[in-house]
Amino acid sequence: MLYIKNGIVVDPKNKIKAEKMDIFIKDGKIVEEKDVKKSECKVIDASGKLVVAGGVELHSHIAGSKINTGRVMRPEEMRYVRLVAGKFRACVGRILMNAPAIGYEYAKMGYTTAVEPAVPPIGSPHTHEELDSIPMLDKLALPVFGNWHLVLKFVAEKNIEKLKAFIAWALERTKGFGVKVVNPGGVEAWMYGGNMKSLDDKVPGFGVTPREIILSLVEANEKLKLPHSVHLHCNNLGIPGNYTTTVESIKLASKFSNDKRQVLHITHVQFNAYAGDSWRNVASGAAEIAKAVNSENVTIDMGQAIFGPATAMTGDAPFQFTLHKLLGARWSNKDSEVESGAGIVPIAYLPSNPVHTVQWAIGLELGLLCDSNKVVIATDYPNGGPFTEYAYVIAMLMSKKMRENELKRVHQYAQKATVLPTIETERTLEEVINMTRSLPAKILGLENKGHLGIGADADVAIYDMNPLEVDTSSEFEKVYKVFKTALYTIKGGEIIVKDKELVKEVWGRTFWIDATKKVDPSLIKQDLEDYFKYYTVEIENYGVDEAWMRNPQRIKVV
Amino acid sequence: MLVLRPKTKFDISVEAEITPELATKNLKEIENFQIYCGNRTLKLKDLFEISKQGDEKKILLEGDFSKVKYIGFGMDGGEIIVKGNVGTHCGALMKNGKIVIEGNADDWLGAEMKGGEIIVKGNAANLVGSAYYGDLAGMSGGKILIEGNAGNYIGDKMTGGIIEIKGDAGDFIGTEMRGGQIIIHGSCGFVGSDMRGGEIIIKGNFELLPSFVEKEGFWIGDVNVKGEGKIKKLQ
Ligand SMILES: [Zn+2]
Repeated sequence: MLYIKNGIVVDPKNKIKAEKMDIFIKDGKIVEEKDVKKSECKVIDASGKLVVAGGVELHSHIAGSKINTGRVMRPEEMRYVRLVAGKFRACVGRILMNAPAIGYEYAKMGYTTAVEPAVPPIGSPHTHEELDSIPMLDKLALPVFGNWHLVLKFVAEKNIEKLKAFIAWALERTKGFGVKVVNPGGVEAWMYGGNMKSLDDKVPGFGVTPREIILSLVEANEKLKLPHSVHLHCNNLGIPGNYTTTVESIKLASKFSNDKRQVLHITHVQFNAYAGDSWRNVASGAAEIAKAVNSENVTIDMGQAIFGPATAMTGDAPFQFTLHKLLGARWSNKDSEVESGAGIVPIAYLPSNPVHTVQWAIGLELGLLCDSNKVVIATDYPNGGPFTEYAYVIAMLMSKKMRENELKRVHQYAQKATVLPTIETERTLEEVINMTRSLPAKILGLENKGHLGIGADADVAIYDMNPLEVDTSSEFEKVYKVFKTALYTIKGGEIIVKDKELVKEVWGRTFWIDATKKVDPSLIKQDLEDYFKYYTVEIENYGVDEAWMRNPQRIKVV
Repeated sequence: MLVLRPKTKFDISVEAEITPELATKNLKEIENFQIYCGNRTLKLKDLFEISKQGDEKKILLEGDFSKVKYIGFGMDGGEIIVKGNVGTHCGALMKNGKIVIEGNADDWLGAEMKGGEIIVKGNAANLVGSAYYGDLAGMSGGKILIEGNAGNYIGDKMTGGIIEIKGDAGDFIGTEMRGGQIIIHGSCGFVGSDMRGGEIIIKGNFELLPSFVEKEGFWIGDVNVKGEGKIKKLQ
């Protein structure tokens, strides 16, 4: 039992704006005062400190074949030693960290839940092995559906019932949490050296369009009533002028309604928010996108670029090849059978580079121009840079002064190609806590995450700052320092970080969605048999069993 | 001057970033200098006999140092003389000063070296003056002279400085080279793949890639990367 005394609580979901409150924890849950015996509680004196829910990472490539290939490709990353083995595991990696380092760094930052957002389905056993090697966090994995042959077939047949049965089957087999879509149709076209240039291009061999793929998957997802919406990486990522495709994709949401959550989540939007028609005249399309986001039932995450080294790794194989040609950097193509593809390319964002500066500005514009209840802070780790710099993003969103200072040191192209210099908005503490906690939990449909109400998981972060006394607009250096490292992180009721140091290693759970009772599996029996007739492995050997996982947590959809 | 002699024959490798700077420290500091042997952290005095003669910035290594890694790693002046063989990574990232090896050198000699001089009286192994895996540039300055032969991957991603080999060398000489000079008095295998700049000068036989174009007595390439590196015959 834990008793967090006199903290200043900010809990947007429960409408608590910086109030002095006590928090009680028992059996890994937030409970009422009467449910604990105070004399038996371990007491944390949080007087004058900020107390919030543990952070929820909505989109970060923390496990699976892509980050692992990245590690192999970038031995120079592995020469950076973070922690020598002792009480805790050895940690290496400058940006591309090893598995324990990822868990520890999130914990030190006050984060306690993270989503691996692009699992190649055949690679799900590896992904879960690796998620099981990440301590400190609860985890979720999103398998990719947007180029899977059976998905394309059912979309072509306009058979939503089969699509539903297939999604339920695939989530069970991959122990996945939701439906990720990467460059719908484009990755399949890449198998023939092509790509999708608009929502209405036809996918070779199937005759379907990206528009039809997205609409069908959203329809099936909504009919299954999955906790999370479709999680979409739009077509034309990383191409100047692509913001129009993004706006068109966002507008597809108008065909659906859901009063509990968004019907479509658009991810790492920065990479899909470019105006102009070449890298010479690239500009920000963030304002147009924000307008669309604010008027449709969609949510986004930023895909913020952080100056310094990064590694581009997406399931968007054709984009990765384009990037490799553009930069002349190393490239690895990961071809994942007939379900997906991927590529990996090292990159570094430089403040002296006009294009990089535009990318950096766009992420911030999205964070400032979108409704704060629609945009989540994320860097699409490691594509935009390290998640360890979220404190920088938070401080920038909260302070115009800090943005003015930063705009002086970056390439002045940002002044004319973006609207960042003209934005007056300064996010409040409540808003950034929402953007890193309550909102991502709501987007994922995780009712016990991202808040401190009774019954919530006892995931808590305490920061060394009194929200009633700090001026976040002018004291941006302090804000940065405070959010960089939590004073305390509590995971499932256990203190894992104390006085900004790791004190205990814990192993979280992996949530997955079981929707198999909502569908008729016999509908796709023949299709699966046909599919596996020519596949790499037998259907019996495909996917992940719960018994192989460290701590699986099945969520049944009824 | 500081003189070090191994107390025993090492069965597993020892990692000791010994630079001439160490010779200027007092004896106690020298004795307690931290080194590693396998997974153990040790002191210099645990594995070596130490004698200090004056404060000259010079180290004499007597005996078999072929299992001792990182000698002269990142050194910035002074002199190291090895009266015997030396282990891997000798003189890597070195900025200034001089290393003389009277025996043979192992892999990664002068890797990513920035300045100074290395002389090997015997042979050198692979990856002389190369970039560490994943890094963008190898040797960028200084000079490496090898009196005997050298192995494969010499001057990988080299951007400056000189590597001179009196004997033969192996395959993959000057891969992805962008500047500097490699001189081989004997023969070698494949040279200059993905070379963008710099010169490779060879006296003996060598294997020329088809992606080099002949031009007034020398070859230019690698055309695969629109390179302007030169391969010449040593007259
Ligand atoms: Zn991503």
